[in-house]
Amino acid sequence: MILNRRSLLTTALTLGATKAFPGMSFAQARPLVFATFTGSWEEAHKAVLVPAFRKANADAAIVLDPMLSVDQIAKVNAAKANPPIDVMLHDPGPALVAVGQDLVEPYPVEKSAYYKDLIAEAQEPMGPAPFFQVVGLTYNPEAVKTPPTSWADLWKPEFKGRVGITNLNSTLGTGWLVEIAKMRGGSETNVDPGFKALEELKPNLAAVAANPGALATLFQQGQIDISPGNFNAIQILKARGVPVEFVAPKEGAIAFKTTIHIVKNSPNRELAFKLIEAAMTPEVQTTLMNPPYLIVPTNSKVTMGGEIARVLAKDTTELKKKFVFQDWKKINEQRSAWIERFNREIKI
Amino acid sequence: MGAAPASRDVTSYGMGLAAPLALFFLVFFVAPLLQLFWLSLHNDTAGLHWGLGQYLHFLTDPFSLGVLGSTLLLGAEVTAVCLLLGFPIAWLYQRVGPKLQTIIILIVLLPLLTSVVVRTFAWIVILGRQGIINATLQSLGIIDTPVKLLYTQFGVVIALAQVQMPLMTLPLITALGRIDPNLDDASCSLGAGSWRTFFRVVLPLSLPGVIAGCTLTYAAAITAFITQSLIGGGQMLFMPMYLYQQASTLQNWPFAAAISIIFLLAVLAVVSVFTTLGRMSRGYGGA
Repeated sequence: MILNRRSLLTTALTLGATKAFPGMSFAQARPLVFATFTGSWEEAHKAVLVPAFRKANADAAIVLDPMLSVDQIAKVNAAKANPPIDVMLHDPGPALVAVGQDLVEPYPVEKSAYYKDLIAEAQEPMGPAPFFQVVGLTYNPEAVKTPPTSWADLWKPEFKGRVGITNLNSTLGTGWLVEIAKMRGGSETNVDPGFKALEELKPNLAAVAANPGALATLFQQGQIDISPGNFNAIQILKARGVPVEFVAPKEGAIAFKTTIHIVKNSPNRELAFKLIEAAMTPEVQTTLMNPPYLIVPTNSKVTMGGEIARVLAKDTTELKKKFVFQDWKKINEQRSAWIERFNREIKI
Repeated sequence: MGAAPASRDVTSYGMGLAAPLALFFLVFFVAPLLQLFWLSLHNDTAGLHWGLGQYLHFLTDPFSLGVLGSTLLLGAEVTAVCLLLGFPIAWLYQRVGPKLQTIIILIVLLPLLTSVVVRTFAWIVILGRQGIINATLQSLGIIDTPVKLLYTQFGVVIALAQVQMPLMTLPLITALGRIDPNLDDASCSLGAGSWRTFFRVVLPLSLPGVIAGCTLTYAAAITAFITQSLIGGGQMLFMPMYLYQQASTLQNWPFAAAISIIFLLAVLAVVSVFTTLGRMSRGYGGA
C-alpha cells in the first residue's frame, strides 16, 4: 500500500470514529475469534472443534488466537467496548477474574441444547465447562519402580533431589499447594500447612519450574523423576516416547474446569454461542476423548473409554468420586499473598 | 565561500528526514511510557485512587529491593564473564590472517542466528543432572553424584554469557581494529614489554569498545526473561519475572507499572555510569 496523505487521513478518521462510536465498528466484518490455549489445546481445537463448528454453521469464518488465560483477560480488558476476541477459554482462577471484571456474558442456557447434559460440576451459567484438566502424580516408570499412590509419596527419602514442582504462577502450582494443604489439615482459606509441607519437601526438590511446560521437559532431561502433573501434558510426552506415567493419587486427582465464555460486547455473539454449543456435543467430546487428545469429557452422555477409563474413571459417577474440585473463589482472594510468600520462602 | 548557509541547509534537511522516526518514537515509545508512568501512580488495581503507594511498597520492601539487587548483580556478573572471554577473542581476531578471521567472525555471529529459546534449551541439556557436564565428570570418576548446575546462579550466568557474547565481542573487534598497529611496535621499540604495552596502550585505546560492549551486554542480560526463567527456574526471581508475575498472573497493573519504572531508572543509572566512564576514557585515550 502506498502511504499518501489521503490514505493516512482515512485511517486516522476511521480510527477516530471507531473510538467515538464503538458500537458501529466492524460489526460482523471480522471472523469469529476464539482464544484457545497454546500447545496441545490449540492442536485439539484446530483438528476437532473448529471443523465441527464450521460443518454445523455453513463454513462460518473462524480464527484461533492461542494465548494464556491471563493474556486473554488483558487483551479484552484493554478494549472492552470492541473486544478483539469473541470466545475465551479459562482455567478456574482466571475465569472468576474475567467474570469479576465484567468481561463475559452469561451463557444463554435456555437456548442451549447440550448444557443440561453436562455433569452438574460443569454447568456454569457464566460459561460452561466442556473440558476438564486433571492433575495427579506423574513419574518416570524406569526410575520409579513402585508407582506412587499418594501426594505424600513425594516426601519419601528415596526421592531426594528428584522431585519437580512448578511455582504458583500456574493453575497447576496453586491448585497443588491447596491440595497438599488439605492433606495436612488445611483448606482453601488456610494454606499454612501446605507451605510447611513445602518447607519439608525442599531436600527432595530438584526443580521449581517456571511453568508446567518447563516441568514436562525436565522429565525428558532426566532432571526430575516425579512431580505433580497434568494428565494431558503427560500423554503428549508419552506419545513422543518419553518414559512417563500418570497416576491419580488416593486423595483424589485435582480437576480444573476449563470453561468457555462469550465475551461481552462481542460483535459475533451468535457464532460464539454456536462454537460453545459445538464444544459440548457428544460427537466432539467423544473425538477429543480418544487419542491423541485424551481430554476428559463433561457431557454425561459420552461413555468413557480408552486410557481415560483405564487411568481416571469408567463413568461420570466414578469421575465425581475420584475428582477433587477446588473453591477458586476463595483461592483467588489470597492468591497474590501466596505467590509473594512462595517467592520469599521457596529457595532451593 | 557560502560555507555557513550551506551547512545550515544540511541541518534543516536532516531534521526533516528525522521527523518520521521522531514521530514513530513519540507514538510508539514515549506515549506508552507516559501511560505506564501514569498507571504506576495509582494505589489500587482498578486505577481509581492516585498516590505513590506502589513506589512506597516497592522501595520499603526488602524482598522487592532484593530482587532488584540480585538482577543488577546478575547483569554485572554476566558482563564480567563476557568481557573476560570476549576480549581475547577480539584481540586474536586482529592478529590472525583473513581466513581465520572469517572463522572467528562466524563463530561469534553463529549464536545470533539461532533462536534464544533453542539456545536456552541446549543449556538445559548441557547443565542437567544427566547432562553433558555431569555425565563427563561422572565417567571420569571426578564426582559420584551429579553436581547441581541447572537452577543455580552459576548456571544462569554461564547461559546468559553465551547468549549475550556477540554483543560484547563485536564492539570490541571494531574498537581493537581502529587501533593503529604501529603503536604496538612503537611501544615495544621504546622498551615496553608486551604486557606493559597491552595495559598502557591497547587497553586504554580499546576502552570505548569495552564500554559499548558492557552497556549492551548488561542491558540484554538483566532483561533476558526466557533464559533467566528457564535456567533459573521458578524459584529464582529476577525483575522481568517479577514484573510478569504481577502483570499477568495477578493482574496488578499499577504495581507492575511501578516495577517497570523503577527497573527502567535503575538500568538508566547503570548505563549512565558506563557512559560517564566512556567519556572519561576518551579523554584518557586522547591524552
